[in-house]
Amino acid sequence: MIPFSFTLAEPQHFSIAEKLLLAVLIIASGVLFWRRFGPILNRILRSKKDPGFHLGNIGHRAWEFFSEVLCQSKVIRQRPLPGLAHAFVFWGFCAFALVTLNHIAVGFGIGFLAPAGMFGRFYFSFAAMFALACAVGILGLFVRRFFVRPRWLGDKVSYESGFIAFLIFALMATYLAAFFTTDDAPAARALWWAHTLSLLIFLPIIPHTKHLHLVLSPATVFLSRGGFSAIPPLAGDEDFGLVAGQDLTQLVSLQAYSCVECGRCTEHCPATNTGKILNPKEIILGVRAYLNDIGPQTEQPLLGKYNSQEAVFQCTTCGSCEFQCPVGIEHLPILIGLRRGAVNTGSWDDAYGTKLFNALERGSNALGISAAERDKFVQKQQFPIFDGSQEYCLWLGCMGGYDPKGREIVADFARVMNFLGTSYGVLRKEKCTGDPVRRLGNDLVFQQLAESNLEMLSQSNVKKIVTICPHCVRTIQEDWKAYGTAPPIEHHSEFLARFVDRLPTPAQSEEKIVFHDPCYLGRYRNVYDEPRAVAATAGEVVDPPRARERSFCCGAGGGLAFLGEETGERISHVRAQELAATGASTIGTACPFCNSMFRDALGASNQPAPQLLDIAQLVARSLPDNDRSHSA
Amino acid sequence: MKIIVAIKQVPERDAQVRIDAAGKWIEEADIQYAMNESDAYALEEALQLKEKHGGEVVVLSAGPERVGTTIREALAKGADRAIHIDANDLGQRDSLGVARLLAEAIKPESADLVLTGLQSDDLGLGQTGVILAELLGLPHASLILQVEKTEAGLSVKRELESGWFQTIELPLPAVMTIQSGGNKLRYATLMGIKRAKTKELRRIAAADLAVENAPKAVLEGVALPQKQRSTQILPGTAKEAAAALVEKLKFEVRVL
Repeated sequence: MIPFSFTLAEPQHFSIAEKLLLAVLIIASGVLFWRRFGPILNRILRSKKDPGFHLGNIGHRAWEFFSEVLCQSKVIRQRPLPGLAHAFVFWGFCAFALVTLNHIAVGFGIGFLAPAGMFGRFYFSFAAMFALACAVGILGLFVRRFFVRPRWLGDKVSYESGFIAFLIFALMATYLAAFFTTDDAPAARALWWAHTLSLLIFLPIIPHTKHLHLVLSPATVFLSRGGFSAIPPLAGDEDFGLVAGQDLTQLVSLQAYSCVECGRCTEHCPATNTGKILNPKEIILGVRAYLNDIGPQTEQPLLGKYNSQEAVFQCTTCGSCEFQCPVGIEHLPILIGLRRGAVNTGSWDDAYGTKLFNALERGSNALGISAAERDKFVQKQQFPIFDGSQEYCLWLGCMGGYDPKGREIVADFARVMNFLGTSYGVLRKEKCTGDPVRRLGNDLVFQQLAESNLEMLSQSNVKKIVTICPHCVRTIQEDWKAYGTAPPIEHHSEFLARFVDRLPTPAQSEEKIVFHDPCYLGRYRNVYDEPRAVAATAGEVVDPPRARERSFCCGAGGGLAFLGEETGERISHVRAQELAATGASTIGTACPFCNSMFRDALGASNQPAPQLLDIAQLVARSLPDNDRSHSA
Repeated sequence: MKIIVAIKQVPERDAQVRIDAAGKWIEEADIQYAMNESDAYALEEALQLKEKHGGEVVVLSAGPERVGTTIREALAKGADRAIHIDANDLGQRDSLGVARLLAEAIKPESADLVLTGLQSDDLGLGQTGVILAELLGLPHASLILQVEKTEAGLSVKRELESGWFQTIELPLPAVMTIQSGGNKLRYATLMGIKRAKTKELRRIAAADLAVENAPKAVLEGVALPQKQRSTQILPGTAKEAAAALVEKLKFEVRVL
């Protein structure tokens, strides 16, 4: 064998028979590919248009494409080792685009990159480096899939994946080996044909395997709705959410076919991790199976054979799945869409759910307590009533207005605002923002609540809102948009973080505070540093194992705080134990729902529990007037 | 089976009521209204009977224009059509006067069953349904929790005091007043609201029903309840306090 040279060997002089064979093989491969891919593309395109979708903000889309597709940022950041291996395979493919074109052209005697030329030497060597990295990468991924076998990949061993890995390895190996031979050696011709065959066998395997993501996911990432949990508006009088095939939109279908089955969504799902039947990956694959078997534009229900209603209603809408997904699937609009389909048509029959809906249809809050109780609380705390002269409207929310612990948090936050000299007032009347019904898919009650609140806010001439509840923040700022314009709102962590220099601090503190990121503050709003900065004024802030964008839900979101007992382990117990296991003396929270869940979870444990305080309470403890008023 | 459900619109449970200047009623401005609770259970019972045995559910409500929202809610939950007796003077009518209006609207319908709530959440007189039966000349039963259709007519479960129940049979047609809590109320759905838009809502002016309008009972005045606090702290360990609480609930409050 000839030792390595920087020149790629290319066989010369292909016979007519060889050229003909090559042409036939290319056509066969292309036809096989299209016979499988054509129907898929057709199903995506035949799905209905996505209501409210517009291809605006190209700059942002281009950036997402550059970052997530070309740089593989999410793929690498959230799973560094396999992510890097994948990135090298991807970059190898990119580098190979030109190589492959030239490779086929050579077979027809019209190669355009001379291997001995200046550019040829440079480019082929450049591609060789990627080929090496790609070969190592795919070998690593092969070992991971077939020997390490992380459980997120599923119980079934995918032999197709093994075969694909072999083909990719063969592509790289046959390319690299051609540097060790000469143009006229028989080995060069054999390598050329082996490379060609690997390529032409690879192509038709793409459409019916998860490798379809090669073709679709760049489009999926570019075309995503943007935002987080962007729930599309209902279009017209016959749209009730995802009820049947005719409700699947082009985006949903595109996303369903883009799933690469990596299981990152499953790995982070609080429902899956506590033994519930919900598995976000299976939801997406269920939609895909429905599209394959039944297709779009049909009246067959989506829930039933392909996805279970029970699973769909186990989602806490924590958004880990959507955050983690490397191919741009937006799980929340799909899960919530399926819930909308069930609730808006009345097919979801759940005693707790019905109670919640009736409470919010007739009353003012999700807890089903008389609004007079809120009035009493406001009077007792002597909260000023918002009259337009104050800077902030302090939004109490259901938890702040009715829940005992939530009230303590609001009262403490109000004391801190007093200390800072910020003027604020509370509304005379306030209704639930509609967060739980929005996430459970009840568009009727959500609309009533949003419109009623928007009217009260505009009558009161509110300019800025601050609240202790991340769910209120999200719902008021994003979800109400369909019904009007709400004043700007911020979470109290954002407010307090602006005043960290002026916040009271304890005389001396060796307190270790473990901070729990609420889903609706972190993943939904991208606020991670502010609550930590506030908590840091009271002690040393540490992170639990799963923190920031990987934070594990408390179990309350998605309306689940108001539904009945969970199956499997309780999500709140799992998280509370994780927080307590850090050895911190205090758990710091920034959401009254998380607080309430952990209060119960810690109470149920026999272990000595750390104390549980909201960031506002951590600050309020050091107020100079702390001894005077204490209770809520 | 053709079922007519008479429903009333009352101030919402959370409404902050203020007594009006004359001291005879509450200020109606700024108040939100809802369907009377036991009427909602009457509607639910009617809808379940229709789901089991087929037929038609017609809702009937008397009141000013605002009761339209409550009627539409009933249509959204599944009633087939509605009759609205447009009347602005319900405050001046006693139970007999209101029942006369309802009876006149019901007569031409020749229904198999007329349901209404046991009593209203605002006045709580509990008279209208019973008078209605008399005016229509039909048998009636009150305080009903469950209705079963039998070959001869109906078998119904009545609520008595102290957790006692009574089952009685009665022929059709009949009038019944329904107690809250016998069924689980369904929630209104978006699809229901959309479908309700196309359902028939017939308006009848109260004047056209030509009923006598001289009240036999006149409302003298209304008053807010006096506030009274009587909190008891039960001392002792959690176990002792719980035992004392059970004792009180059993023998003083008698809810256990």
